[in-house]
Amino acid sequence: MNVIEVQGLKKDYPLGKTTVHALRGVDFLVEEGAFLSIVGPSGSGKTTLLNIIGCIDQPTSGQVKIHDQEISELNDKQVTDLRLHKIGFIFQSFNLIPVLNVRENVEFPLLLRKVEKKAEINTRVEKLIEAVGLLDYIDHKPAELSGGQRQRVAIARALVGAPDIILADEPTANLDSETSEAILKLMRDLNELEKTTFIFSTHDPEVLKYAKSIVQIRDGMFVGQE
Amino acid sequence: MGLTFRIVWRNIWRHKGKSLVIGIILFIGACLMTVGNGMISGMEKGMTENIVDLFTGDIVIISDEQEKENVLLDMMSGKPLKVIKNYEAVREVLDKEEMITDYLPATSGMVYVLNDRSEMGSIYLLGVDIDRYKKMFPESMTITEGRIFQRGERGALISEEARKPLYDFVEYWVVPQGGELDESKLPEDAKEDLVNLDVRNDVVFMGASVSNSTMDIRVPVTGIMKYKALNKIWGMYCLVDIESFREAHHYVTGADSAVELSPEEEALLATDDLEELFSTGELFADVVTEESITLEELQEETAGETLSYNLDEGSYNLAFIRLTKEVSQQEAVKRLNRIFQENHLNVKAISWKDAVGVIGSMAVFIKTALNLFIMFIFFVAVIVIMNTLSMTALERTSELAMMRAIGARKAFIRRMFVSETAVLSFFFGGLGIILGIVVIYLVRSAGISTTNEILQLVYGGETLSPTFTLSDLLLGLVELAVVTFFSVLYPLRVVGRIVPLDAIVRE
Repeated sequence: MNVIEVQGLKKDYPLGKTTVHALRGVDFLVEEGAFLSIVGPSGSGKTTLLNIIGCIDQPTSGQVKIHDQEISELNDKQVTDLRLHKIGFIFQSFNLIPVLNVRENVEFPLLLRKVEKKAEINTRVEKLIEAVGLLDYIDHKPAELSGGQRQRVAIARALVGAPDIILADEPTANLDSETSEAILKLMRDLNELEKTTFIFSTHDPEVLKYAKSIVQIRDGMFVGQE
Repeated sequence: MGLTFRIVWRNIWRHKGKSLVIGIILFIGACLMTVGNGMISGMEKGMTENIVDLFTGDIVIISDEQEKENVLLDMMSGKPLKVIKNYEAVREVLDKEEMITDYLPATSGMVYVLNDRSEMGSIYLLGVDIDRYKKMFPESMTITEGRIFQRGERGALISEEARKPLYDFVEYWVVPQGGELDESKLPEDAKEDLVNLDVRNDVVFMGASVSNSTMDIRVPVTGIMKYKALNKIWGMYCLVDIESFREAHHYVTGADSAVELSPEEEALLATDDLEELFSTGELFADVVTEESITLEELQEETAGETLSYNLDEGSYNLAFIRLTKEVSQQEAVKRLNRIFQENHLNVKAISWKDAVGVIGSMAVFIKTALNLFIMFIFFVAVIVIMNTLSMTALERTSELAMMRAIGARKAFIRRMFVSETAVLSFFFGGLGIILGIVVIYLVRSAGISTTNEILQLVYGGETLSPTFTLSDLLLGLVELAVVTFFSVLYPLRVVGRIVPLDAIVRE
């Protein structure tokens, strides 16, 4: 079953008098439980593609369907709710809430979902924090964590709501190789355990060995698939 | 403590500098607002106590033919007030109304004061049945010299404030009958020329009637008085027995109404034949006596006697009304006017503020000025807070965009922002209100007094007595809420423009 369907996706950015064609017509399907890596050099359109799939950017033309729902037909509230309930984000620069500690950052999406059972929240949050190996840092603020630890918090936050899809934009770009490997292994384990669909972008060949499938992108177009 | 509130609270601490700037502005604004509101409340309370309780009552009834409603303290026109034509019927209405606790019919107007050289000055008189006046306004004045004239006795109480200009106009100094000259109260020029000082125990008033004919009457001065408050303003009014006022203005007196003529006397007075009129002693036969008696002896003889006529039968040109506390003045005015109109009584009810004219307007003016000042303070506060919050919103674009990206609706972000401002408003504003209350009580206990007329209006009396009531607290909280609302309007627009994409570092 396809969770994501992308057809003829184009994205242009006006840049002064010229136009940058970030995506030039991308078509692809993502099946449920996929662990897909989008590979390409900087400026190839990886982040733009993830942003559009994640409903935080809009295409110039083309279609994106998530669970057969055309996202361009949704209003702001519906798109926001789709992001909240169906999609988890892992940002390259972590993007944690600086005033909240690890536990609070992870439980934040549940607050937005208005999950009221405190015990249920605590169990889920602590389980995930333990899974990412940060139980000892549960009361620490982001400023008190290393880059790898922050990224692990971001992963836990992305997973806490058990979304169908997790989009990770170069999740290991700011991490050392050891931490990168641990993070990728964690993502792979979660993919296998929770059957969550993972799509992550990278231009690091070392990362690719964890991917189940790979698409290559260059100059806004898919140029290969493994 | 909910996670939203934790975010709000910690963000306030995270941006301590800006929070403090906003907090200080709100603190000062709330403090000034509280003191200002306290001043206004104190002024209104003082005005009510000092004018309503001591001088006018809540409502004044006047003839509906009266053009201007500022029937008291109208220093410009000098026109006599129109007489109430249906007083008896009006009295019936007033007696029946349960919302009225008491009322005082009276006469008010300007009279000329004459001296032997026909030089004249003017003075304002309130003609009253003194017993009813004392019952209606028991606290209004103190007698500094002499005594209050008794009911039925001809007499005037000259206010200390009016005595000096009276001296300037007619060049005699008024001392109550039987009283001694108190040199310490004399004006400087009089003190220097004591030998030639003309001291009198009575005053000659000349009233102006509606028909413009005049009558001058000599009224003994029984006392000198001082009003309890607003003496500089209200002191222009002297009290006089109502019959003297009526005579001076050619109004029907109570004694006039009491005269009952026999058919023979009526026939005699109706004749055009002067010979017949003065040919017999019949007309005066009953009152002419062989014995002589001095005025003092007559007064002594008749003192304590009940009046042979009803003072209430004569004319009035206004009536002061006191209401029960349960009824609002506005409602009472409406109700009375409706009744007066339905019964064609040719009178109207007006509020005390309308009746005192310029003084009431000045009170409104001062109140408006104070309110404008408070509004200005808050306008400045709103602008500064708005800018600071907008800067904060821009600085937090990435964080807020990330919240949007992971599923926070615009409403959540807005609510968070409003909550941050509201917490600051009510924490620092609350402290400001508390300090304001302390200032109010300190000022109140300091007992700051003034003799300046304008300041007396600001103070609502001779002493500055700001007050703080529950309604002031509610007003303060509402004002803080309004400031919060307007302060966040623009920052919310800034926040609303933040999109999830702002959270992403572009490739």
